[in-house]
Amino acid sequence: MLAVLSVLTLAIIGVVFFVVPPAEGLGYYVRIAFFHIPVAWVSVLAFLVSAFYGAKYLKEPKRHYDRLSANSAGLGLVFVILATLSGAVFSKLTWGAYWNWDPRQTTIFVLLLIYGAYLTLRAAMPDEKRRARVSAVYALLSFLTVPFLVFIIPRLYFSLHPSPVLNAGGHIDMDPVMLWTLLAALVDMTGIYCYFLKRYVKKAEDGKEGEAIHE
Amino acid sequence: MNASVWAGTKLVLLKEFRQGMRFKASWAAMLMFALTTLSCVSLALQGAALSPKLAAALLWVILFFASMVGADRVFLDEEAAGTLLALRVYGGSQPVLFGKMLYTYLVLLAMGLFILPLFLMLLAGNVAEPSLLVLTTALGLLGVAAAGTLVAALTIGSAVHGGLFSILMLPVILPVFLPAISLTAGALGGEAGSFSYLGGLALYDMILMVGASLLFDYLWYEE
Repeated sequence: MLAVLSVLTLAIIGVVFFVVPPAEGLGYYVRIAFFHIPVAWVSVLAFLVSAFYGAKYLKEPKRHYDRLSANSAGLGLVFVILATLSGAVFSKLTWGAYWNWDPRQTTIFVLLLIYGAYLTLRAAMPDEKRRARVSAVYALLSFLTVPFLVFIIPRLYFSLHPSPVLNAGGHIDMDPVMLWTLLAALVDMTGIYCYFLKRYVKKAEDGKEGEAIHE
Repeated sequence: MNASVWAGTKLVLLKEFRQGMRFKASWAAMLMFALTTLSCVSLALQGAALSPKLAAALLWVILFFASMVGADRVFLDEEAAGTLLALRVYGGSQPVLFGKMLYTYLVLLAMGLFILPLFLMLLAGNVAEPSLLVLTTALGLLGVAAAGTLVAALTIGSAVHGGLFSILMLPVILPVFLPAISLTAGALGGEAGSFSYLGGLALYDMILMVGASLLFDYLWYEE
């Protein structure tokens, strides 16, 4: 799996730098998007996975589910930091400021807060069973806020963020080369996330707990 | 809510009041904290005029952090006094949750009632729509009480207490915080906020209460 992911990653980097044409209005800055969109997608996905396995743990308290939930959140934190930083750089280059509480910046920041709170809670709980249970409950509780924030934040803050690839009109306004490269980058980044999640959970189960993000 | 849950809830509420009268520290600390932050802001501003939006944001920052000082005690006091186990044995999860939630809400309302007039005197001046201000504060604090009771139960048994509660609360309470600020700014004479926010606030309060009710069982009954 690692070999396939490495080849795919190198191929995507090559295509992004040598084949993808500059975008209208953004120029070569568009290259950041091929990194930024996939990491932002994975940071949301990792949260969903963490909440999903939290719910599974509450139904059936198996340590395996807790490890999946915890390690997914640990990885999610790394991805959400990457998404925030790459977004801030893109924002500086195109809008002139690193941070202006754009709706999407706000949403990703809330996700960062949720991951931070979840991992702090885990770190503060010495008892293993209680830690698993409490963090599963917290993942599900914070999951309740997401639909509300998605609804409220865009009404409160003005947005400069480029509209999503699949916009409200339902049609795709993108050069086909860019679109396919972006799709490949999304698949690649999801693969990288799955690879590390499996690896960390396996390490935790083999007893090499020091090497896993969360045992 | 069926009859036995309601009866249990009333008993837990009564117990909380008795305990609150005996140990005045937790609610007294909350009131004093609210007063301290308010006077701190007021002294620092030295009577400078505030725009409604800024005044609304300051009010909710004061209300949020003051609630954090009081609401996190709701299970910690029991843990410290060693009465948590007895409550676990004799109290069902739902009466304990709703009894404590109702008590927290009443204490928060009292804090709101104490701090709002002072806030208006010291910082905001006149209010364009008093009823909107009162309704927003009541709905906002209900959300804080609902989420706060569950989050307080999460922190039982944690090795760190200072700060953990506020860290856990902020992401959960943001859907209350943001529309409440916007509505309060409208009530203080700023740009009129959309009234649909009031409905949204009430809906989110309901969701928090239902969510807390569903999730609390997993925390209360441990095998």
